[in-house]
Amino acid sequence: MLRRAVLFSMLVATATACSRNEPPAEPIPPTLPDTAGEGARRAAEQARQDSIRRAEEARREAEAAAARARSILEEMVFFDYDDSNLRPDAQEALARKVAVLRANPNVTLRITGHADERGSIEYNLALGLRRANSVRDYLTGFGISASRFTTETMGEDRPLDPGSNESAWARNRRGEFSITGGADRLTAPGM
Amino acid sequence: MMRVTRFIVAIGLLFGTASSTLAQDPEVPKGIELAAQYQTRTQPLLAVRPLGAPVDLVGAAESVRGILTRDLDYSDRFRIFDTPSSLASGAVDYAAWNSARVVYVVAGDVAPAADGGLALRVTVHDIPYAEAKPTRTYALPAPDDPEFRMAVHAVSDEIVRTITGEPGAAATRIVFVRQNRGSNDLMIVDSDGENLRRLTGTEGLIYSPSWAPDAGRVAYTLQGEGTSTLFERDMRSGRIRTVATPRSQLIMTPVYSPDGSKLAFAANINDRLELFESDVTSGRFQQVTRGPAYSFSPSYSPDGSRIAFNSNRLGNPHIYVMPSGGGGATLITPFVSGQRGYYTSPQWAPSGTQITFHGHWNSRGTYHVFVADANRPLSQIRQLTTEGNNEDPSWAPDGRHVVFTASGGGRNGLYVVDVQSGRVRELAQGAGLRMADWSPTLVRTSGLSSGQ
Repeated sequence: MLRRAVLFSMLVATATACSRNEPPAEPIPPTLPDTAGEGARRAAEQARQDSIRRAEEARREAEAAAARARSILEEMVFFDYDDSNLRPDAQEALARKVAVLRANPNVTLRITGHADERGSIEYNLALGLRRANSVRDYLTGFGISASRFTTETMGEDRPLDPGSNESAWARNRRGEFSITGGADRLTAPGM
Repeated sequence: MMRVTRFIVAIGLLFGTASSTLAQDPEVPKGIELAAQYQTRTQPLLAVRPLGAPVDLVGAAESVRGILTRDLDYSDRFRIFDTPSSLASGAVDYAAWNSARVVYVVAGDVAPAADGGLALRVTVHDIPYAEAKPTRTYALPAPDDPEFRMAVHAVSDEIVRTITGEPGAAATRIVFVRQNRGSNDLMIVDSDGENLRRLTGTEGLIYSPSWAPDAGRVAYTLQGEGTSTLFERDMRSGRIRTVATPRSQLIMTPVYSPDGSKLAFAANINDRLELFESDVTSGRFQQVTRGPAYSFSPSYSPDGSRIAFNSNRLGNPHIYVMPSGGGGATLITPFVSGQRGYYTSPQWAPSGTQITFHGHWNSRGTYHVFVADANRPLSQIRQLTTEGNNEDPSWAPDGRHVVFTASGGGRNGLYVVDVQSGRVRELAQGAGLRMADWSPTLVRTSGLSSGQ
């Protein structure tokens, strides 16, 4: 995932560099002592430098916004034991996703539900699916089209934490998100 | 004198049954019996004498005797008595065995057979009655043949049938899943814990292997990234084929009908898990439940008329029974309002009168294996295990042994409990061994009666 993010920002950087026609900034050459002309040239050059810096900043901001949007979309949500209801912290995380999904109408997500190791494997497969569907239903409740989501379950067989204690179980009862499309130019909401 | 001994054994059996219940824990809701203590019945003593053999077959005879002795021990119908050297050979001395309180003596010999295999001759002696049952001769493959052990297991089952009139479960295997990181292997082991091996694996998350009644096929599901498939594996050729199902993100818990023609399973349709039946040969399937909530883990009654299954329509999973083909469902497990009872993975016993499952009756409790009366909804259920966590029970074809997954309490792996005596033995050791399914009888042998 990290590797994909790095690759993505490299692509953005390359695209930005190619689309810009200005030559790279150069040191100002020494010229004849024409004070008025000299001042104008310096001002023009300063403006040029500023515009390059602004473009660079904008590019950095867009990258940061894309990374922020991606991390909001991929943020996991966690559940209580044997429960597919969304806790307040999960609802907050999903509300943040709604804003990103609205700002990026082409993005599609796969939602994977997971369970902790307690209980029957079969029941936990069903519980994982219930969790994934409960997440999807919450998102579509905000008017996001259901066609933008696929849901699946991995039951108890893909734990984040292989331990057998309450803190491991709490981390393993989760919904995971992977972006399945439309993420070429992610924008963060309210930018 | 001999008849009196037999009579005392019978009294022991009668009285043993009555004293089974633990004092009721005040925390335990009504309707649940903690049957941690079982009948302390006295099993009749049985001895397997060293088998006679020509010099070059002494080793083979010893291994036959070892397999027979362990199988008869694992049948939990006898206590094994070590043969004293004074009684190890010659004519069976009924008076001497009787004074040692031994009830059954298995004697016999091994001889070379024309086909390169062995001829095993077995006589069961009923000591109190001073009676030899008809001697039978069984054809065995050579000891290095892969089918050798299974052929001896079939003889063990025949001895159990001769003595008790009931089926044994030695000539069987157990399929199960071994959980790895990221994939589940399909595994198999003989009933005595030998021949543990992997059938298939590393292709994804395999779940819920289930034997066909003809023992020639095993169905299981494979959960992939957003896909779910139902497979049937031919146990002789190893060939795998796909069984027709509706398109769904989640196909789970397949089980064969008693005639082997249909597979029932759960599939996710419109956000619910519904039960389906698929005709194995035609590929046609039909939906048999229509909500509410999730229905899964079907198990047919032995006569095929009913299906036990799981539903979470009360919030937590409970066990229900309905007519096969669909219809009104009856709640079997005790439901106490406010108490988070949790009961999953039902499997109908071969007798047709009992259903096993696992679960817990309070919130966040450990899981245990239970038995319920299939014909008396909401009646007392009996807890078969007490230590650690115990899950995924499956019946042996003898109707008295159940294999289950245990963890904690000093156990980790697959274990077998005798439902009548409560005796537990280890089948396969290791973490992540789950969802065991006990096969039907794989080999039957009646042997040739050779007079006497």
